Order: sequence, then C-alpha cells, then structure tokens
Amino acid sequence: MAINPIDTGVFDEDDMPEDEVNDLGDEASDSESQSESDAEGEDVKLPEAKANAIYDRDGIMDKLGDMSWPQDVPWIHRLSVDVDRGQEQEVDVNDDLARELSFYTQALEGTREAYEKLHSMGLPFLRPSDYYAEMVKTDSHMEKVKGRLLAEKRKMEEADERKKAREAKKLAKEVQAQKQKERAKQKKGEIEAVKKWRKQRQQSGFSGGDKDGDLPFDFEDGKTFERTGKKRPGVAPGDRSGGKSRQGGVKGRKGMDKKMKKRETRDSKFGFGGKKGMKKQNTAKTTDDLRGFKQSDTSGNKKRKR
Amino acid sequence: MGKKRKHREAESDTNGSEANKEDAASERPKRTLLGWKEKPKENEDNATPGFRNKEKVLVTCSRRINFRYRHLMLNVVSLLPHCKKDNKVESKETKGATLNELVELRNCSSCLFFECRKHLDLYLWMAKCPNGPSVKFLVNAVHTMEELKLTGNHLKGSRPLLTFSANFSKDAHWMLLKEMLIQIFGIPKGHQKSKPYHDHVFAFSIVDDHIWFRNYQIAVPHNESDKVSRGSLEKMTLVEVGPRFCLNPIKIFGGSFGGPTLYENPFYVSPNQIRALQKKQKTGKYAKKVKAKTRRKMHELSNPLEPDEFADMWKE
Repeated sequence: MAINPIDTGVFDEDDMPEDEVNDLGDEASDSESQSESDAEGEDVKLPEAKANAIYDRDGIMDKLGDMSWPQDVPWIHRLSVDVDRGQEQEVDVNDDLARELSFYTQALEGTREAYEKLHSMGLPFLRPSDYYAEMVKTDSHMEKVKGRLLAEKRKMEEADERKKAREAKKLAKEVQAQKQKERAKQKKGEIEAVKKWRKQRQQSGFSGGDKDGDLPFDFEDGKTFERTGKKRPGVAPGDRSGGKSRQGGVKGRKGMDKKMKKRETRDSKFGFGGKKGMKKQNTAKTTDDLRGFKQSDTSGNKKRKR
Repeated sequence: MGKKRKHREAESDTNGSEANKEDAASERPKRTLLGWKEKPKENEDNATPGFRNKEKVLVTCSRRINFRYRHLMLNVVSLLPHCKKDNKVESKETKGATLNELVELRNCSSCLFFECRKHLDLYLWMAKCPNGPSVKFLVNAVHTMEELKLTGNHLKGSRPLLTFSANFSKDAHWMLLKEMLIQIFGIPKGHQKSKPYHDHVFAFSIVDDHIWFRNYQIAVPHNESDKVSRGSLEKMTLVEVGPRFCLNPIKIFGGSFGGPTLYENPFYVSPNQIRALQKKQKTGKYAKKVKAKTRRKMHELSNPLEPDEFADMWKE
C-alpha cells in the first residue's frame, strides 16, 4: 500500500527548523514496517450477497434512537461534518492515489466548513505559534521524520545531477563532433581557396608584377636566413665559448701534443663538452661538405643496389 | 456516575423526556393537581447547555497481540484523551462478560477492544457499554503513526474535527456506525485532558463498503495562524499524521458484546476461509504428479514403440 505523494508534497517545512539529521536506524525500521504491510492479506469479498444475512433495519433504527444524543445538542459537542461530493463518490479502491486523494479532499472540505462555523462562533481554532504543549509525536520521532525527508530530497537531487551530467556528456560529444566537422570543412575550404587563387594567377600568367610587390616577403638580398659567415675553426656550431673551453687545457709533452691536437679537433667536431644540441644539427655548410664520404663505397655497392 | 451529575441536568433530562411524550400525545398539556401545567418551554432551552458529554472509552486488547496492532492501539490511546487503557484480556468465549464487567469497573461508557487472532488478523470491537449496540470489525491496511512517511504532528489531546463522507447516510447500519464513531472518537468538550484549538481532522469515509480512517494535521501558513481569513483558508493544507486503518464491519449486535444480531455483512469472508482456500489451491501437488505418472505409463503400455530395425546395427 503505497503512500501517495500528497503526504510528502504538502509537508510544511516551517513546522520544523532545518538542520541535518541522518538516522540510519529509522530507515531499517521503516522498511520493516513496509514489508509488514505488504504481507497483509488482500481483501476478498463474496461475489454476491449472502441470502440469509440478517438485516434488522427497525432494530438498528431503534438502537440508533436509544444511543444517540438529543437532537438539540449544539454542534460544538459533535464537531462532525458531512461532506457530500456528489458525483465523485465512486473511487476505485485499488487505485491508491485516487483513493487517498478522495480522503484528502474530503477532510479538507470538511475542515473548511468546520472552520467557517467555528469562526462565526468566534471560537479560536488554530494553535498559536507560541502555544507549546505535548504533541502526539515526540520530538525525537519528528527528527527522524525530518532526517528521512532530507535524505529523500538529497537522493533526488543526486539522481538529478547524475542525469544532468549524463546528458551533458552526450551533448558534449555531439558538440565535439560538430566542431571537428566544421574544422575539416574550414580546412577544405581554405585549401580550395588557395587552389583557386593559384589557378587564377596562372591564368592571368603572373601578369600581376605589380601584385608581386604586395607580397610581404622580401628575398632580394637573399641573406635573411643565412648565418654569419664567420668561420670559427675548431669551434662547434653552437658552442658559445668559442672553443675556448677546451683550449684552456694543460699542455703536456711533445709526443702527446700531436695526439692532443687531434683529440681536440675531434672533440670540437663530434662533441665533447659544450652545448650538444646545436652542433649535431646540419647547417648549409656541413651539408655541402662532402669530404666525409668515400667514393669507393658507392661504387662498390653498385651491383647490390641494382 | 449518578452522584456526579448536576441536579439541573437531571431535571432537564426528565423534562426533555416529558416533552417528547407530550409531542407524541398530540400536544395536550398535562394535568396536575393544581391545574394545567404549562409547556416547559424555557426548560427546553436549558436542555442544550445542560448537556454534558461524559464519554469514557475503555481501550484494551487481547493477549498475544501482534506488535504492529499493539502499536495501533497505543496510537489510538494517544489520540483519545478520554480513554482508559486497561490490561490485556484473554480472548475466550466468555470475553464479552468479562469486558462488560471491566467497563463497569472502570466507569466507562464505551469500549474499544482490539482482538488479535492467530497473530495475523485484527478484529476491533466497538461497543457502547451499558446497553448500547456493539460492532465487530475486521481491521485491514494498518499503518501506525510511527511510520516515517506520515510526516504530520499535532497537539496531543486537541479535539479533532470529524468528517464523514456522504454515503454514511445511505443506510441504517451506516448511520448507526456514524453515531458510534462520533461518540467514541469525538473528544468531549471541556474534557480535562483535552486542549483548546482544533489542529487535526479525522476523515471517515466509506469506500468499497469499508470504513477508511485517516488522521490529518491542519497546516496553515505560519504568519497567518492568529487570524484566519478567507484567503488563508484557501491556502490551508493537510498533512497526514496517522494512523491509518480500514474497518470492515462484520456484525452489529444489539447489546454490548452480545445480544441479538442486528446486522450481518453479507459480503464478509473471514480471513481463515481465505487462507483455507489458498491452501486448498496449493494442495494435491503430489497426488497430481503420481496420477500423471501412472497415466503416462498406461499410455506407453497401450501404444508400444515398434522395434527399431537399426537397433542391433552396432552391436557386433
């Protein structure tokens, strides 16, 4: 038997101050009671009325007359309200939501009617906010209730967040795909534009000598990308010390001197000390320098190559 | 009880009954020794303020009651400040007599008796005690106040408003039940333990020939609770406090815990019968199996398989 959302929906949060309460114990007790109610036997009715069922209408009316209060008892003693809701009478019992809603509306309408009556009598009916007295449910119990409500709220929020994140992820994927497509399109478009431009230029036969002037590049002197031609013998390119780092070594004997010199040149060429990165790079000069190749190597390999 | 009653009220009661008699006797003024007696008009007016509701309800349960139903009973006790709780009563055949005695001993005028059978089914006896009718209900769909889904709360002992659905006036027995509910569940005005203000409402409604009980707290936005105008009446909401239960009337008796049967629910099936039926549906499993086996055997015997020509093929 599920409790419909009205119960929680109309919960007045003003009744209790907000603070975080987490009670795990109450969850357990609640689930237990839930299972209990589920286990309860469902109602079975006889399909048709028993024929010999007793119904002593007169006796009932007699008893009613005997037991009931005198007719002129003022309403304030009874406090009872009959709520007639006309066409809405038939409610499906097994539809929990509709049934509870009908009870709720009945109670609400009855309350309104009763309040108007009480109001016209000039009687107080609502508890003032500064009237404190014992309540049917204890404060500790209400804490539990609130804890549960908060937990439920949190759970719902978390679920919402998860859902949102999932959707965002999906959306992000789409956006990414769109972007990539756009980029590809742009690239393609640019290439096309360049091609077109080239074609146009070819068609026009490079006639636009004057157009050449528009180009920002200036290659006239041809020296822009050249290195300074200063040759530094025995100094590796990129060696900022200018080869001095190794010239400062101690001079040994004469026999060793020659070796040392060779070592120095080799060091300066292949690198020993100094900055490594630059001297291993080819420059225009080293590329042109073919001294290091042996002619015979290439000729010897002719056969193999073919 | 008689001693406590104010003299004026007793007088008014007798006057009231006299007035009734006179009404029956075609308005003839009564003859006394000193002449014709005047119609007691001013006394009749006094009859209403003289009325005092002195209802006291004895609430007990049977032994071996379920914890859930015991909690329901305790909830009812907490809702009714004019009740007296008593010890458990052995649920025997003679329980009616003992209960009557108990009620008399405790000076009560009505009784709610929660009878639990087989730890499963809860029956609720609702009786007006010295000589009023008594009703036996089967209680279904019990939710106690302890359930955390019921979030409302209200003053302990404030007088509830009782709302009834319109179909209580549909039939005689419903009318009787309504009167009993009003008397038992309505808290007497000016009761010592009752509190002023009305901040909760009981809803009794008949759906599917059952009486459904709900208890709601009346919640009005806070700042306006001092003086309720029409606008805030619209804003009024209800929050359920509990307990919930559903009463299926079984029988109405003329006396208290006994007497002639006035009404019998023609649609009622006892839960025992329901369980028996369910059991019956489950029985015969083994018998069915045996029967199926023998039938199969008979079938096989009557239609033997013809010998397979390839049966010996791989034997050599």
